Amino acid sequence: MQRHDVVVVGAGLAGQRAALAALQAGRDVAIVSKLHPLRSHSGAAQGGINAAVGKEDSVETHIYDTVKGSDYLGDQDAIEFFCKEAGPTVVEMEHFGTIFSRADDGSLARRPFGGAGFPRTIYAADRTGLALLQALWEHLGQENLTLYEEWDLTRIVVDEGRAQGIVAFDRRRGDLAQIAAKAVVIATGPAGRIYGRTTNAHSCTGDGVAAAYRAGAFLKDMEFVQFHPTALLESSILITEGARGEGGILKNAKGERFMSRYAPHVLDLASRDVVSRAIFTEVREGRGFPGDYVHLELMHLGRERIESRLQEICDFSRNFAGIDPVTEPIPVMPAQHYMMGGISTNARGETNIPGLFAAGEAACVSIHGANRLGGNSLLETLVFGKQAGIAAAAYAEGAPTPVLRADDLDRETTAVRAMGDRTEGEEPQHLRIEMQRTMDTLVGIYRNAAELKQALAQIVALKVRYEKVRVVDRAKTYNINLTDALETGHMLALAEVIVAGAIARTESRGAHARTDFPKRDDANWMKHTLAAYSPQGPRLSYGPVAYTRWEPKERVY
Amino acid sequence: MSGELISVPIDVYRFDPSHDSAPRYQRYTLELPRHTPVLSALLKIRTDLDPSLSLRYSCRSSICGSCAMVINSKSRLACQTPVGPEVERHGRIVIDPMRNLPVLRDLVVEMAPFWGRYRKLEPHLIPDPNRPMPVDRENPMTPAEVERFKTTPRCIACGSCYSACPAVEHDPEFPGPMALAKLYRFVVDPRDGARQDRLVRIQAEGLWLCLRCHLCTESCPKEVEPSERIRDLKEMAIAVQGGTEHGSRHAVGFKDNIRERGILNELKLVRQTYNPLEALAQLPQGLKIARKKPETLHAPRKIEGQAEVEALYVALDDSKETP
Amino acid sequence: MKLAYYPGCVAQESGRELDQSTRWVAQRLGIELVEFPSFSCCGSGFVDEANSTLNVALNARNLALAEKAGLDLLTICSTCQGMLSLANHRLKDPAVRARVDPALAKIGVAYRGSVRVKHLLEVVTRDLGVDAIAKKVTRPLRGLKVGAFYGCHLLRPAGEVGGESGEEPRSFENLIAALGATPVLYRGRVMCCGFPILFVREGTANRIAATQIDDARAHGADALATPCPLCHISLDSFQNKAAKAVGHALDMPIFHLPQLIGLALGASPEELGLPRHLVATDAALAKIGQVSVPA
Repeated sequence: MQRHDVVVVGAGLAGQRAALAALQAGRDVAIVSKLHPLRSHSGAAQGGINAAVGKEDSVETHIYDTVKGSDYLGDQDAIEFFCKEAGPTVVEMEHFGTIFSRADDGSLARRPFGGAGFPRTIYAADRTGLALLQALWEHLGQENLTLYEEWDLTRIVVDEGRAQGIVAFDRRRGDLAQIAAKAVVIATGPAGRIYGRTTNAHSCTGDGVAAAYRAGAFLKDMEFVQFHPTALLESSILITEGARGEGGILKNAKGERFMSRYAPHVLDLASRDVVSRAIFTEVREGRGFPGDYVHLELMHLGRERIESRLQEICDFSRNFAGIDPVTEPIPVMPAQHYMMGGISTNARGETNIPGLFAAGEAACVSIHGANRLGGNSLLETLVFGKQAGIAAAAYAEGAPTPVLRADDLDRETTAVRAMGDRTEGEEPQHLRIEMQRTMDTLVGIYRNAAELKQALAQIVALKVRYEKVRVVDRAKTYNINLTDALETGHMLALAEVIVAGAIARTESRGAHARTDFPKRDDANWMKHTLAAYSPQGPRLSYGPVAYTRWEPKERVY
Repeated sequence: MSGELISVPIDVYRFDPSHDSAPRYQRYTLELPRHTPVLSALLKIRTDLDPSLSLRYSCRSSICGSCAMVINSKSRLACQTPVGPEVERHGRIVIDPMRNLPVLRDLVVEMAPFWGRYRKLEPHLIPDPNRPMPVDRENPMTPAEVERFKTTPRCIACGSCYSACPAVEHDPEFPGPMALAKLYRFVVDPRDGARQDRLVRIQAEGLWLCLRCHLCTESCPKEVEPSERIRDLKEMAIAVQGGTEHGSRHAVGFKDNIRERGILNELKLVRQTYNPLEALAQLPQGLKIARKKPETLHAPRKIEGQAEVEALYVALDDSKETP
Repeated sequence: MKLAYYPGCVAQESGRELDQSTRWVAQRLGIELVEFPSFSCCGSGFVDEANSTLNVALNARNLALAEKAGLDLLTICSTCQGMLSLANHRLKDPAVRARVDPALAKIGVAYRGSVRVKHLLEVVTRDLGVDAIAKKVTRPLRGLKVGAFYGCHLLRPAGEVGGESGEEPRSFENLIAALGATPVLYRGRVMCCGFPILFVREGTANRIAATQIDDARAHGADALATPCPLCHISLDSFQNKAAKAVGHALDMPIFHLPQLIGLALGASPEELGLPRHLVATDAALAKIGQVSVPA
């Protein structure tokens, strides 16, 4: 059995930054990831990373914008810490070698983003995530890190009230293995593939979040699911908010710049929940194009600007939609993009389980509250990845030697083998598609009690069917059919939490918009949802939101 | 946007080392809109026809680099290759795993050699000890300095170039196009303090094994143009150190060679590239060729207007600015 | 048709049979070759590695000579074609212009950028057209299976050859068919011959050449034909070494493009310089009923 002081699950920006921090603290560190680190979904982030470093800008405004963007559900103490760390974090990444776009004076270039008072989003063309991921991986490559590449997390082992390690499936060897760890950091990113229409990669299946949930960690605010306003029609590939930051505008089929009706002051650069609802409303009320979409126009920006600052967007549009954004509008519709919720942590990445930490999109601190601002998620991965790494390293220093039991692994192995031994039962990919259909149609931008309850019944039924899931592939090595099955199990568990939280929250706040409860209800719902695992389904409780200086106000953009 | 469906016959390389004695091709036929990416077709095979087909994929938007494979003999990303043109051109779609890397199963290959050749070039910023980074703020870098990276920051390390490269295929010492494009990225980085060392080292560690066949540039899904950056590295390496290897001696020798007559003196070039002992070793082959082509033993004529050529050398080579 | 004839260095020296066969074919096809004794070497890719600005300037001078005469330029070498086209391409960059133009001005040369650089393959298949060539065939190469070997620089990095895709070219194969032979499709046809590192790491270069020859043979080729004399050096002049590097005989005749055309148009092996090859072409000639001539 392998042993490490700290095991980080997930190799995106949050996981890598956590690993770096733990290594710098002198711990023996391993990363377990189902993808090579450079394949992580962090690399798909396009628009940029927020830091109030401009002369006219201030950390104070960044805090305020984030609090307001969160629809006052973000914890203000954590947000203050987060925004103060922004400048140093970006500078550190620059020193690690990130190739950022630059202003003429040689400083970091900044572009305006939705919901922000100033141009605050530092960027590397429209591949900021890739630029950061490359630089961090290159930097981390100098450290003595153990990498378990292409391993699927199946379980976090919690015994005697603390984390003892993990169980994971080694795709190459085709077997489960235990890895003992004094501290476990979950940084496995989101579970966007619960939805069919999502900007997320196929690998965003919430493995770590589901494992933490089953291990007894609270999940926080899972009902808050962000829909990005501009995803490419059909493929749902992300078209960055930076496209509107550079001056792109949305138009409906009547040629109207419809955002003037929804956000008269900032128009296309309102926060994402607002813009997504506006697009959805336009289409629902018959002002969309046939096939249900609106146009994102960039043409007026000119070829030079489009091709230099939005190079990837050009390629995506040309390759995946046959559209040249220099001469034609891009057909877009909102798609699932980000999960504000996740494993409940504090600003040090600690969960309710000693020895278990989380960071990045898998975690919920909460700084995004009910709605995340563009440019804050890349920052979150690095700020809280580092904090989780520091905390995990400190914990591991004093923690007892972890104990993993052999019979434990045997039980798990038996369960996994059973999936392959079944001659009857359903294939995981079919269950997955049904789940995605349910979530797309019933748990979308606008929600109501009847549809949510219908969704819950469908998810619960899918969970029952999943108990007889059948893996068809007989091969041992690279049996990704088995990966399908493991991932689908993770996602069904999380889908249930999302829906249960959405049913309970009888208000509209941020990304959670209930047509039957259209108003924000601060008297009853200014609180975090906390979901705990039980075999019968999630048990919901609620926790307080941390306030410091900002009183809730109505959000107008 | 879907349009009408076309019939897409796909022959996929299948191999499970634990069961199969040899690889085979399996035919699947799908009805798809012509703009469907090959990756979507493969995922549809997995969902509807055969869940046992194994491959790597993740983002489906040509940014994660997972799904590089050989599609109708070209190394490229499955997510970025539409089925329509392939079927129209070849009548079917033949899918193989990436070349130059051992197959683990079906379309999944062992990437370790690819990463290994890249890691060997120290792909990380090596700050100049005499030029500490500014405290609490970013290093200044002008937009013009950012331009010097060219398109190398777009590299997603998918391995298409590695799969397409004949030098990789035939010489274990060649670092590969991706690794060299990465090296270029560090060489032109104003924050990097090891520019000189990197250029000196790479001259001896495989730079000159590049064939400039440009197959890497053809295969690159992100327009990184590795062959162009390798060319830049060669010119920069010669600028800092001159011709130290056969490759650079040949390039410098060739350049000096045609200065004299305006056209190539083939015989003399041998002496400019090789040391006397090496030149001697070439003698038998040289004589074999000379028996059929006796003019190789004589210097060629001088072109008319050689003085103009000489003047261009004086203007652009004798006082050459550092690239 | 009248073109500025750019034979390139090799065709004037060790590859004279290429020049010889080009002239024979040009005359039959009505292509007037205008001689420019003042053309310099294209740099062959090597000068570009040593000094890219100088390389562009040398080729800009060549191009300017053709421009002054009001002619497009004919190449018979994939590498010359690649280098002269590359110069045309790079000269569109104002930064390159800023360095090259003053140097050209010193020798009284200015190049506007109007010259099209065409390889013989393009002239034959596109300007004249394969149908027109087919009509002139007097000795169809029936029974001969020929693999085209394009040569990298004809295809890349431009990514296009004579208006067709450089990734999936077919013009050479179409020509081979028009000459009465059977074109052989094989992966190596668009691959590298190994020549650029023949003087850097001979063994690797030899193995690369052997790989392409073996590939062609495995697909049934009796002979290869190439529009590039550098490929010819690697594939023909060093074929003995390629065979040695892989440990088996290769015995693959390698024709220059105009030699293949010339054969179909009735030229004798001597008229095409075939006896100058290191690998005998006898077996291929026998297939088309042409008695070989001793070297």
